[in-house]
Amino acid sequence: MIILDALLQGILMGLLFALVALGLTIIFGMMDIVNFAHGEFLMIGMYTTYWTSLLLHIDPLITLPASAIVGMLLGLASYYCLVKYLLRGPMIAQLFGTFGLMLFLRYLAQFLFGTDYRIIKKGLLVGKSLSLGSFILDWTKLSAAILSLLAFVLVYYLLHRTKLGKALRATALNKEAASYMGIRTDRMNALAWMIGGGTVGIAGGLMVNFWYVYPTVGLLFVMIAFASVAMGGFGSIKGAFFAGVIIGMIEMLFPVFGHLIGWDFLGPHFKFTLVYFAYFIIVVFRPQGLFGWKH
Amino acid sequence: METLRDTFDFSDFSRAERIGLLLFTIFLLIFPWLGTGSFVKSVAIQFLLFSLFGMGWNTIGGYGGQVELGKAQYVGIGAYTVALMMVWWKIPFWVSMPIGILIALGYSFIIGYPLFRLKGHYFAIATICTSLVLQDIFINWKLVGAAKGIELPIHGHPDFLYMQFKSDTYYFYFIMVLFYVAVFYMNWFRKSKLGYQLRMIKEDEEAAESLGIDARWCKIKAYSIASAFVAVGGGFLAVYNLYIDPYSVMDLDLSIKIALMSMLGGAGSMWGPIIGAGFLVPLDRFLGSWLGGQRGLIGVDFMIYAALIMVVSAYQPRGIWGIIEQFRRKGT
Repeated sequence: MIILDALLQGILMGLLFALVALGLTIIFGMMDIVNFAHGEFLMIGMYTTYWTSLLLHIDPLITLPASAIVGMLLGLASYYCLVKYLLRGPMIAQLFGTFGLMLFLRYLAQFLFGTDYRIIKKGLLVGKSLSLGSFILDWTKLSAAILSLLAFVLVYYLLHRTKLGKALRATALNKEAASYMGIRTDRMNALAWMIGGGTVGIAGGLMVNFWYVYPTVGLLFVMIAFASVAMGGFGSIKGAFFAGVIIGMIEMLFPVFGHLIGWDFLGPHFKFTLVYFAYFIIVVFRPQGLFGWKH
Repeated sequence: METLRDTFDFSDFSRAERIGLLLFTIFLLIFPWLGTGSFVKSVAIQFLLFSLFGMGWNTIGGYGGQVELGKAQYVGIGAYTVALMMVWWKIPFWVSMPIGILIALGYSFIIGYPLFRLKGHYFAIATICTSLVLQDIFINWKLVGAAKGIELPIHGHPDFLYMQFKSDTYYFYFIMVLFYVAVFYMNWFRKSKLGYQLRMIKEDEEAAESLGIDARWCKIKAYSIASAFVAVGGGFLAVYNLYIDPYSVMDLDLSIKIALMSMLGGAGSMWGPIIGAGFLVPLDRFLGSWLGGQRGLIGVDFMIYAALIMVVSAYQPRGIWGIIEQFRRKGT
């Protein structure tokens, strides 16, 4: 029973991890850039929902579009002001460029909001839970998981069923050939950053209902997102989805198993260590990930 | 014999560079006697320490072209070895530091073997992951002080065996000696067989392999050399601060700073890491003490720092040394 409960909680959390990883994998798939600032985008999405709902007295669920829009604008701004120029340089410059962006956003948040831990306390769903027999699910997590699924379906539809999505995928596969076909690759890149920023903004807006926000919250999530993306295969949307869910389950099941077999020292402190370790094992033994299609 | 000549032979550098090095050496030698305050002295010590780290990173990251972002774990290994041996068994610094280097070397071979199956982004993130795993273990390991860290026993009198002094001047000269050992080593390294092999691998790995170079083995060797450098610095950090915890010696920020300074100065060049550290360490410290103390401006120093990183990465990825070389080529 305790295992089933942990499994369920893990799936809910995993769906959110997957939503965070979605933006990262789209951006990576498009232009081979690892976005270190992704976790900071999440943090800004969290702060946006927090402040709009607090200052305007609106329910945190209704302010989600604000987070999405802020995320999209942030993605666009990062692309046009920084990433466009980074693309000309070597890989190491790209890594450090997005790392600089990460530091900048983190300390900007610290400058503006201080280092306090903040969480939404009032809201339609906050603090309420749904009991299904002996399982108790928080409505905040449940709604987050449902919206994450919805976002995945939408992005999948956009990429695989529309003309725009075809253009995006063509750019990802071969930039030069795509530009010969009349696709404006520069705009496609910007679009990828916009989608990436928007999805992670939504994830942040959902997460702040049950997770404290503070300026350095991003690092943990960006590492989990890296692990999910690597596990699913860089650039694969399906992969990010399943890997996110798997990581969510590992994270919840691991302390439970440790407890059951009496290894309490493995406790919850190590649950994320295991995620990093899993990343290492996966990329070493299966570098293309579970669903890798590029590279 | 030839090794010795290569080590001390700086003749292939331009005259300006040799004079610069000489003046810089003289400046360092008289630096503690210029009436500098303790803050400036500590900045200078940090600069030399980060130059040492940077030169180590430069072997694998600069000459080898591998984006390595996990050097902090070796700082931690060096620092913890020295600190723990001193606390548990009262082993002097001069014994525990070489042991720390050996542990770092062994660990780097174990980790490096699977790590160098990877390339590019996969490699970069994997190095971060290994470092974070080790940090997490140290944060939770009660035996080594867990998150609280360890304090070294303080000796009342200056002690050369345990490298404990009241005045920063001694530490300054000690790290300066280590710094020059590193400079001479790097001078040999860039002309060594491994140095040439690494540069070939950086240019074109497949071509290098077709010429019979075992790319993976070369990278592992360079990685271990870098780790040894960094472990020496870690050992110094332990006796200098007399207190270490997993957050101060194993943090991701430290790994990134090490790599960043080399890149900013110019990765893959002899003077790049030194210039980078000479630029960033004082900037970091002075901005921090100037802005960090004022209310309401917390974090602005890091924002300036971050903006600088972004501008350099976007416009001059070859770093400050790249700019200098560009000007020089225009001049001739």
